[in-house]
Amino acid sequence: MNPYLAGIGLGLVLLASFVLVGRGLGASGAFNSVIAWGVHTVAPEHAKHNEFMAGYLGDGSESPLKSWLVFEVLGLFAGAMFSGLLAGRAKVMTEKGPRVSVRTRLAMAFAGGVLMAFGAALARGCTSGQALTGGALLNLGSWAFMMMVFAGAYAVAYFVRWEWR
Amino acid sequence: MRNWMSTLTLNQKLALGAVVLGAIALFATPYPGSSVTLDAKELALAVAKEADHVEAPELAAWIIESRADYRLVDLRSESEYAEYHIPGAVNVPMGSLTDAGLGRQETLVLYSDGGIHSAQAWMLLKAQGYKGVYMLKGGLEEWKDRVVFPVLADNPTPDQRSRDERLRTISTFFGGQPRSAGAVAAGGAGMPGMAMPAGPALPKVSAPASPAGGARPGAAKKKEGC
Amino acid sequence: MMAPFLKYGMFGDETSLVVAFLIGIGFGFFLERAGFGSARKLVSQFYLNDLAVFKVMFTAIVTAMLGVTYLGWIGWLDLSLVYLVPTYLMPQVVGGLILGAGFVVGGYCPGTSVAATATGRVDGLLFVIGIFAGMFAFAEVYPLVKGFYLSGAGVAMTLPATFGVPYGVVVFAVVLMAVGGFYGAGLLEKKFATGATE
Repeated sequence: MNPYLAGIGLGLVLLASFVLVGRGLGASGAFNSVIAWGVHTVAPEHAKHNEFMAGYLGDGSESPLKSWLVFEVLGLFAGAMFSGLLAGRAKVMTEKGPRVSVRTRLAMAFAGGVLMAFGAALARGCTSGQALTGGALLNLGSWAFMMMVFAGAYAVAYFVRWEWR
Repeated sequence: MRNWMSTLTLNQKLALGAVVLGAIALFATPYPGSSVTLDAKELALAVAKEADHVEAPELAAWIIESRADYRLVDLRSESEYAEYHIPGAVNVPMGSLTDAGLGRQETLVLYSDGGIHSAQAWMLLKAQGYKGVYMLKGGLEEWKDRVVFPVLADNPTPDQRSRDERLRTISTFFGGQPRSAGAVAAGGAGMPGMAMPAGPALPKVSAPASPAGGARPGAAKKKEGC
Repeated sequence: MMAPFLKYGMFGDETSLVVAFLIGIGFGFFLERAGFGSARKLVSQFYLNDLAVFKVMFTAIVTAMLGVTYLGWIGWLDLSLVYLVPTYLMPQVVGGLILGAGFVVGGYCPGTSVAATATGRVDGLLFVIGIFAGMFAFAEVYPLVKGFYLSGAGVAMTLPATFGVPYGVVVFAVVLMAVGGFYGAGLLEKKFATGATE
């Protein structure tokens, strides 16, 4: 799809979110809630004593999974699947460059996820919650974050070009 | 004009539209600011009809019943709140009232020491369009006087006896203690404002047989992040 | 019109979860429409072959920004009730750098990794698992980074307010910057295109 039209579509979804519930989009926060829930299920005391996770558990009256973001991300999954099937882009495969093996690529994907988690935790959000949402609201921290994301990515791109080119 | 417009690609049209909208937006003032419009008549009527307050015993009953459909707001400073607050109250000092994120359709009961701050806060919130705002009539003073340290008759008639029992139960629930009418009359020396200092200190904050049901208003809500 | 609807009590928390799901569908749909379910497409941004990431992201920002500005201006949307994430400058700067690195190493960001997993990308799934692992690790080392994590302002700040510039001026500046950027992006793509993006 024309990237500008896709962008307008995305922007309207974001606007709808502001108008309907007074908050923007997000993704990384849902992962935090799920982790807090998971750890709490397996080792409740550990979760409650961990200051970071405890925040996502609150006073325990509601499951961390009953979160706006978790439901939004579930919708994300569904919407993307629908679009992919519609466009014939849904296929079980591994995206990678020509010079790297599938195994290496998968390891790098995992590593990227770990890095991304640290970055998103520190920044209180990721490209969806900070760059898109905060960007539209002219949030200072979000704009700073957004510029740094591009900077960091461009800086590191040279060193991982073997993965993609 | 039409010919020139039709030579533009879709992307160029979009860009043009964005720039035009951006230029108009140069004059935008999207944040409403703190000024409000008051409907003086409506507010005056609400006060006259006494639709603006909740009595202390009423609130006590709500707390005992563990009602969760309202939010109790303590308007005093943090230190005063920490020393004692009505169970279930959330602390929103006067200064942060507009930033507190209180829901406009929520039922809010405001209180302060007496009635002045809660009356002012009531006015401010009503002016901003909050629908369900009420003051605790008499504030903490009346709360102490009628709920925590109620005055009981010394020689109660049968009617008074059952009423006094109720008052005693309520008072104990909130960690207080009833006072005898005679003692108040003698010690108070006709200066109702001075009744408290000689009395027992207000109970420390501890959730009295805490409403087991719904989450206490203002309890640590889980955060959700982005 | 009184918006945000939720804050004006038009519907409750339970319904807002349904709304969340529906909005998520729209979000995921357009992410995938833009081709962001593919790591190769996303990463092409950083090799200057295909700048769709920049185009989509900034078009979305401009669209929502103009929408919010106009709706706020005519009083239909109470902007002060829209949640603004507090600014923690240093953690966000460092977090951004790390996130950018993760983006190009892993090929996705959290939202797009979910989209990729939904369209069958195994690497998207591994990325998602990586995020879980990373979040858990972060929580475990939280006591060590807590000081840094909490540094910075901790207050919601907007660009106009911080720089003392009228809101509309910043809006216009962002629009100009975006449109200029799109033009520049077109030029860069012509120069560096390899066709290796699909």
